[in-house]
Amino acid sequence: MRKAASLLFAGGLAFLLAVLVAKLPFGETPMVLGKQVLAQGAEQTGTANLVTSVVVGYRAYDTLGELSILFTAALALGLVLGKRNAAAPRDPDAGLVLRASADLLLPLLLVVGFYIILHGHLTPGGGFQGGVIVAAALFIPILARPSRGLDHGVLVWLESLAGALFILIGLAALFQDGAFLEPLLGKGELGRLLSGGTLPLLYLLVGVKVGAELTGLLVNLADAEAVE
Amino acid sequence: MNGAALLVALPLLTAFLTPSIGRVSATAARLLGPLVLIYCIWLVAGLWGASLPVSIAIGGFAPPLGINLYLDPLALLFALAVYVLILLAWPWTEGTPGQAALLMLLAGSTAALALSGDLFNIFVFYELMSAASFGLIIVRGERAAHLATLRYLVLSGLGTVLFLLGVALVYFHTGTLNLAQLAQMAPDKLAGAQGLAAFVLILLGVGVKAELFPVNGWVPEVYAAAPRWLSGLLAGLVSKLAVLVLLRILVLVFDSEQAQAVLLVLGLAGFVTGELAAWWARDFVRMLSFSSIGQLGLVFVGFGIGGAAGVMAGIAVALHHMLAKPALFYLAESWGGSLERLQGEARRAPLAAALFVLLALSLVGVPPLPGFWAKLLVVMGLGAKGSALAWATLAGILLITVVEAAYLFRLVGRFYSEGEPAHAAPRLHGWDFTRALLLGGALVAAAFWIVPLGHWLEGASQLAADVPRYITTVLGQGGAP
Amino acid sequence: MPIPLDTLFFAGALGLVAIGVVGMLASRHLFRVLLCLGLAEAGGNLLLVLSGYRWDSVAPILTGDLPVGVSMVDPVPQALVLTSIVIGVGMEALAVALLIRIRRAYGTLDGHALLARLREDLDERLGVAPDRSEDLPKGHAPFPAPAAKEQEVNP
Repeated sequence: MRKAASLLFAGGLAFLLAVLVAKLPFGETPMVLGKQVLAQGAEQTGTANLVTSVVVGYRAYDTLGELSILFTAALALGLVLGKRNAAAPRDPDAGLVLRASADLLLPLLLVVGFYIILHGHLTPGGGFQGGVIVAAALFIPILARPSRGLDHGVLVWLESLAGALFILIGLAALFQDGAFLEPLLGKGELGRLLSGGTLPLLYLLVGVKVGAELTGLLVNLADAEAVE
Repeated sequence: MNGAALLVALPLLTAFLTPSIGRVSATAARLLGPLVLIYCIWLVAGLWGASLPVSIAIGGFAPPLGINLYLDPLALLFALAVYVLILLAWPWTEGTPGQAALLMLLAGSTAALALSGDLFNIFVFYELMSAASFGLIIVRGERAAHLATLRYLVLSGLGTVLFLLGVALVYFHTGTLNLAQLAQMAPDKLAGAQGLAAFVLILLGVGVKAELFPVNGWVPEVYAAAPRWLSGLLAGLVSKLAVLVLLRILVLVFDSEQAQAVLLVLGLAGFVTGELAAWWARDFVRMLSFSSIGQLGLVFVGFGIGGAAGVMAGIAVALHHMLAKPALFYLAESWGGSLERLQGEARRAPLAAALFVLLALSLVGVPPLPGFWAKLLVVMGLGAKGSALAWATLAGILLITVVEAAYLFRLVGRFYSEGEPAHAAPRLHGWDFTRALLLGGALVAAAFWIVPLGHWLEGASQLAADVPRYITTVLGQGGAP
Repeated sequence: MPIPLDTLFFAGALGLVAIGVVGMLASRHLFRVLLCLGLAEAGGNLLLVLSGYRWDSVAPILTGDLPVGVSMVDPVPQALVLTSIVIGVGMEALAVALLIRIRRAYGTLDGHALLARLREDLDERLGVAPDRSEDLPKGHAPFPAPAAKEQEVNP
């Protein structure tokens, strides 16, 4: 009975959406905001990747909210799962092949991750994408050597610092009679690494914060079995 | 003027720093939050005198390209309520740094919702508000709190999906997210069935937090499992901010007869089911949770009236509930539990019982308390609307108000009756009582100054319902239709 | 008969939402409910990013060698989807942590059984359970859970 009702509800929702979607102007959307971003984005923000100019330029305030959500999730997850029991036995280390590959992967992944973060304003990628790769780079050695564990203190400081700096850069503009999160510094030459003013800096902070938070999330979840 | 961004930025900054500070000194972490909240209250007071309404572009990018904050008396009032209520609920003695950080995140996100002028920005901070409230419920909870939160999270996730679909539909048709520009385009692009569907999707998405009728199954579970002060905060504050953004979206973007009819039906359904369930409840906390669903149903009925009168009616009920419900939840700190324990409570705690009587009278709507005026606005608005649906809703509300009165006065009768229960409720903690008394005092003060308050609210509601003014404020004179 | 491309995209987005919602409503196991929520979110994100697509357009990155007359797709929905994906990740992680705690406390993840246990627990906490113990409730935590119930939990 309950299942039949559920199916009916979901079927109704799907039908409604199908009818609605059939009339959507696919491929010919009005693009009211989009056209303006395409026309003025490079000039106003100085980034070649216009998605980045939206993420940390026009909608940097959304990105701040997004960072806060990830921060909240990481914080709440840590509080729910609790501290790792120091006496709990850790898994044994992996074999030589895995350990050696992990050691090999760590620097490579870090380089790739930071490359993607730092070139977020020029090529596809950015703080979120690169931050995830950095988190993977830090987590793989932990998987290979569970006995070592990880210092949560450093991660907490990194998170705090990166988040606070993001807001402080935003506030710096405010104190120079600008608006909150207004891009500062010169725009530079379009397409160069050092261009786009403070936008790449903000994206770097996003990357560090996302990397630290995701690492913390993964380590907390991996330790979940060993909580007292 | 740009300093209004501090209202959001400062609480978030504090939240980011609190866990690290907490590692050094837990006391400092606990005291930092209230200081920032007081500073924010001072900031709001400073903004109050400025010429309102005003729009502030974040990042210096003029709307609609950038995100803007929209400050009008209503937005500032709700922002003020955020800081005051969170300051009042602050866990001075037992709070951990994690809890302090989560409360500051809640403050930042709710303030951002009060001020936001962008559809997707509302989505982001709405999610932040959800995440912060999940964290607060589970931070010290037992297993029941964990389970109730998970069920809440899943329902809220479903709401997120619907909200996203609604935003996608809107973006497909208009290509913009700024509320002012949407208001400009809505009569043209979002008038038909597509617009109504987008509205219903967004309504159901935001409705999860606003305790809207079909998506409020979480309310009794979560309020029962969470600490009482937090239930008061969720019922009194978080739901109200969801209501405020819903009001903005309704008035600016989806202002149609059909949308109002949807709100009338869902609001009435919420009022009827909530009050009936409250009548059946056998314990104090569930009674309060169900009554909260009912009161929010009344808010939606108010919005369903439409126009400035509808805004005023809905906001009046919401503001009244914002004072009354947290006060009741503070009383529930010791009265939570079976209603039978409260037999003859008026002899043991005469002051608290008197306060409860005051709050109950106001909730039912006995003149001259503010609750009466709020309900009167709804009833008069429905009468003035005059459609068959409005009359039916009016009849339903009057009928169910009798039920509301029945269960509240039944409890009042129990307070003043003879006989001792087997296990009396414990004595009320002094600070909890003080907090309830402060909110009750505000209610009495509102009853005394009801005329100037009514005038002020009328002006604020007219401003909020004035769509052309909103558009010119945000987009400048060039945006005028 | 060739199927238009846009139909395929829309069918993908809506299909994901439908599968997700049906799965959430029909599954008993809470972890499956969570997976289905992820699917539905993916569908919503897909629909959102589709709202920026333009025929014959390229990615919105200025490289300097854009042929004349070629336009770019709308960058705004891409940024929005990035945001909403990250939000989804945070929520899912929190939900998984809750699942771990629930599994440990109740010994099961079956939705129906858990709902019944939740009602019992809440009745107990609110002091209206049928077999209320005679302990006097006190102070801020009026109804401590009886010790007997905690022990029947499976490790």
